[in-house]
Amino acid sequence: MAHIWPIGGGKGGTGKSFLTGNIGILLAKQGFKTLLVDADLGAPNLHTIVGLANPPLSLSDFLSKRAATLQETVLEVAIPNLFLISGARNRLDIANLAHDQKTKVLHAISRLDYDYILMDLGTGTSFNTIDFFTLSDSGIFVCTPEPTSIENIYRLIRSVYVRKIRQVLKIHRFRSLATEAEARNQDAIIQSPEYLLEVLKDIHPEEGRILEDTLKAFQFKLVVNQMRRQDNPKIGALICKIIERHLGLKIQFLGNVSYDENVHEAVCRKEPFIDQYRYSQATLELKALVKGIVGITEEQTVAL
Amino acid sequence: MKKVLDLNFYELLEVAFDASPFAIRQAYKEMVQLYHGDSLASYSFFSSEEREEILAKLDEAYSTLIDEKKRPRYDQLLIEQGIFEEGMQYQQDRKTLSLISNPKGFRAHAVLRKKNELTAMASSNAVIQEILAQDVLSGNDLKKIRDELGVSLEMIAEMVKVRVVFLRAIEEDRFEKTPSRIFLKSFLRAYAQCIGLDADLVASRYLKRIPD
Repeated sequence: MAHIWPIGGGKGGTGKSFLTGNIGILLAKQGFKTLLVDADLGAPNLHTIVGLANPPLSLSDFLSKRAATLQETVLEVAIPNLFLISGARNRLDIANLAHDQKTKVLHAISRLDYDYILMDLGTGTSFNTIDFFTLSDSGIFVCTPEPTSIENIYRLIRSVYVRKIRQVLKIHRFRSLATEAEARNQDAIIQSPEYLLEVLKDIHPEEGRILEDTLKAFQFKLVVNQMRRQDNPKIGALICKIIERHLGLKIQFLGNVSYDENVHEAVCRKEPFIDQYRYSQATLELKALVKGIVGITEEQTVAL
Repeated sequence: MKKVLDLNFYELLEVAFDASPFAIRQAYKEMVQLYHGDSLASYSFFSSEEREEILAKLDEAYSTLIDEKKRPRYDQLLIEQGIFEEGMQYQQDRKTLSLISNPKGFRAHAVLRKKNELTAMASSNAVIQEILAQDVLSGNDLKKIRDELGVSLEMIAEMVKVRVVFLRAIEEDRFEKTPSRIFLKSFLRAYAQCIGLDADLVASRYLKRIPD
């Protein structure tokens, strides 16, 4: 079974596609059969990162049934072991998928035969992004050490949190819980979704416990990208601590990736960064990141 | 998951029940870094009221656990609530234990507890009483008393924090080995007190033999 890793972040420009592409290339080079899925439905450009200018097929061919199976939309790229489902030729009105379409995509993805499947998700807290996280119970969040990015990452994580509660409780039960929670604390849905769990545990302790366990089952990771020299390298670990202490979500800090001017160069040349700058700090950190990801998935495999 | 404001002070600071004051100070510094208003890591996560509440609780936790008197009281409370077990808490006097403590040190404590006993032994010991009845005391006299009481020079040295060489110099009447008369006097007093003798009496009778 493939290990599926959705990769997302609250804010645009944090380097989600850059990380997805380069982590994918590194995994492929280690001999893992790796598939990249461009699930940034509104603004796809993963193909450019891996050096494929005009992909002939994309995810929407599967959704619109032009392609009978998802496997048919898989493209080969110039790097051995690496494959891509592009989003380049998506219809312009595809940005928002219905929930059942997303379930269909994820279901199809989980049945593909790869070692690793990395999904580049769109920016922000649209249901597109959130549902891919909640449906797969795992994922890598990307942020940069800036207040704007951190603000958005917290918002994204809280949205995932609320969405998960909603998924578990089903719509009408969720509404009654939300009403009750808001009656007690008007910030419950806006700022403090953790309050929902508290209220549920108060009213129905047994259900509260089940929900708490469900939330604990999330396997989230965090990467801090574009780390500059003057930034606090511990910021990622501190963010994870806040989330674990206050939301009760397990989130593991995977590592920092340094800011590198050359990323811009590589993107402009439409060539993979790690091939161009093999010994840069950022490349070394990306390699360490991949080592961590492989280690974690091996642990999970053993546990299964 | 417990809400942060419901955590006990140890959980709040993420330190062990027997954490040293040093560890508590470190933990507090780190937590303040995490929660203070300019913290990038918790930016936008809390409303300003929540932040103030957490910071106030952190201050309360720190000022309690760092206080020698307040901490044992708070520990007792947690033990009574069954959160921690008796005997697991930080012991204030543990700080006197260090790498350079040696077994002699422990025996020295035994001497301290027996000081009254030593006084009693001295008053009922004929040899000692005979010596103390003298108008003048020599180093050898002191040594005899000490031998009668069964106390070693090393024990006294450990207790009174005077080097053995000086104590031996006193017993061997080699005054030139001690730094000065003032020091000699205070060493003598400490020596006498340590084995349960009258410090003034011993010092004055010993020093009688030495001209200013």
